[in-house]
Amino acid sequence: MIGVIRLYSIALLRDNDNMKLFYGALLIVYGFFCWLMLGITRQYLPISLDVAFLRIKQDYIGFWHYRVAFFIHVFTAIGTLAAGFTQFSRPILRRYPRLHRFAGWVYVSDVLLLAGPSGLVIGFYANGGWTSQVGFCLLALLWILFTALAVQRIRSGDVQAHRNWMIRSFALTLSAITLRAWKYILVAMFAPRPMDVYRIIAWLGWVLNLAIAEWLIYRRVPAALTAQDGTNT
Amino acid sequence: MKANCLLLALPLFLFACGQSQNNQNVAVPVSQPSDEPAPAPAAPPAEMFVGLFEAVEYNENKDIAYTNKITMAIQSLENGLLKGYSVVAGNIRPFEGNFTEKGPIVQATVREPGDDKYDGVFTFKLNRDSQTVEGTWKSNDRKLGVTKRAYKLAKRVFHYDPNIEMPKDIEYQTLYTDYKTQERHPSDDEAEFITENAAKYNASKTLLLKEDAENMYKGDLEVIRNSIYARHGYSFKNRRMRYVFDYVDWYMPVSTDVSKELTEIELKNIDLIKRYEQHAARYYDSFGR
Repeated sequence: MIGVIRLYSIALLRDNDNMKLFYGALLIVYGFFCWLMLGITRQYLPISLDVAFLRIKQDYIGFWHYRVAFFIHVFTAIGTLAAGFTQFSRPILRRYPRLHRFAGWVYVSDVLLLAGPSGLVIGFYANGGWTSQVGFCLLALLWILFTALAVQRIRSGDVQAHRNWMIRSFALTLSAITLRAWKYILVAMFAPRPMDVYRIIAWLGWVLNLAIAEWLIYRRVPAALTAQDGTNT
Repeated sequence: MKANCLLLALPLFLFACGQSQNNQNVAVPVSQPSDEPAPAPAAPPAEMFVGLFEAVEYNENKDIAYTNKITMAIQSLENGLLKGYSVVAGNIRPFEGNFTEKGPIVQATVREPGDDKYDGVFTFKLNRDSQTVEGTWKSNDRKLGVTKRAYKLAKRVFHYDPNIEMPKDIEYQTLYTDYKTQERHPSDDEAEFITENAAKYNASKTLLLKEDAENMYKGDLEVIRNSIYARHGYSFKNRRMRYVFDYVDWYMPVSTDVSKELTEIELKNIDLIKRYEQHAARYYDSFGR
């Protein structure tokens, strides 16, 4: 992990100064939130069925598939945060394509085989009734779908489409952080009832991320088009 | 690096069963509710008087409880000796002393044993006509926050009634927080108010489902759970709940341990509510979950 951060900072030196500062700050913020997420994961070690969040999931903890999905999700989903964050750096992609491929391989297998499907199962049993159940299940399905599409596109050599689908996929990955951040903000500002907060963040936590992802993608389109026009004429 | 195997892996081999039924799997011992409170000294049924125990002489600079609800139990009046005990703020203390009787009025001065920091001397008149006890209490230790209290208590027979409801105006009570002993930051407690939901369920009568508890504020849950203990006449040591229940008319402190008297429904509800309370305390206003 330290090595990856060092690589990232070396790569940053190649970029221009403003961007360097921006990415550096972003990296620190990201690291801070990943640290918080690690703290959440650590609550479940050693494995216990009557701690933290599971204290209020006693209705479902008796289902073996819920237990399996829950612990898979808790311990593997954090891997997508770690594997995903270097992937959008152009310098790393250019200078260390093997690192990009390796981290991508880890990210994709984690999402498609572990964190995604397990997220879908626990989403199905989400607290707060159908509002949050649909929100979390849709999040899991889109996460799997976007990630799978991104893999399929790069296999067929379509780098631009691969990049776009991965931006969407990672935007959903970041919902782990944003939904909890929204919860913190909403409670601090409005002190809503606990389950109302949960129903709101089941949607707000990822829909806004996806909107930002779309903006990032389409912001680049005119530039890309002009560049293409330039070569054509 | 090749990743061939991945492409085939789009696993959607999901959910097996979809029955989400509501079975709280809590193992609880079945205990029979008992109408008898369990006072410290073994005794024949006592005559009980309940009311407010109000500070008259006190040190303003100390963080004191001005008013507590007190139950005084008079167990025997024989050969000029009055025996009984008081229950207040989670403390049961026996007392005894001399009395004189004149018509309907019994005049007595009784002492607590003196081995507790808060022991003192009660001086009161028991009026057989109006069925009241009226008098004062003076602490042995003159350095206490409250050195003298006054009271006018009315006779009442305690019995456990699971059907008794929380008053609707409980939402106007505020939850006391002792910031000095609170580990968390005071602002953490801003959301801990009591709302009308605190009177929504009678947790001694109705088995609560998780849907009933999950959207409630921590303060409401705390009051609902403690109303179970209050119905059994539990005397609250902590001010937070004492201040809420002392102003509930039917509440009468008679015991400091009601754990053996809780019914099966009550034990299940306590377990459920406590889970959501703890969850709210730890996670409601934090980043994690």
